[in-house]
Amino acid sequence: MAPTGFDLESHWTLHPQVAVRPEPFGALLYHFGTRRLSFLKDPRLLEVVRGLSDAPNARAACTAAGVGEPDLPRFAAALATLADTHMLEAS
Amino acid sequence: MTDETAPTVEPAETAPAAPLVEEDLLVEDVSIDGMCGVY
Repeated sequence: MAPTGFDLESHWTLHPQVAVRPEPFGALLYHFGTRRLSFLKDPRLLEVVRGLSDAPNARAACTAAGVGEPDLPRFAAALATLADTHMLEAS
Repeated sequence: MTDETAPTVEPAETAPAAPLVEEDLLVEDVSIDGMCGVY
């Protein structure tokens, strides 16, 4: 499934039914509602996901996690995938 | 004088460069539905 666009200026949170398990490669997310697993293959993406709820928007969470401007499109695409699979929800 | 001319060497056609590295996806997702009995 191709990810749709992701609004970096919006506030996003992890879905309450999602559990996060840090791994050496990044993290595993498990959604107890959809029974889907997502592999986050960069530790910075884990930091972004963890920081979403406290950041004013997703762009700020990326910046706080050390994601530079050149990498932002890749991270936005990754967040779009997570939003499409209901791991994240806009709030 | 002859009509023969030195053969011209055509430049080898170059195929458009294919991307050598696929985009490295930061997220992969899978469903565990249908895995009953695997574990």
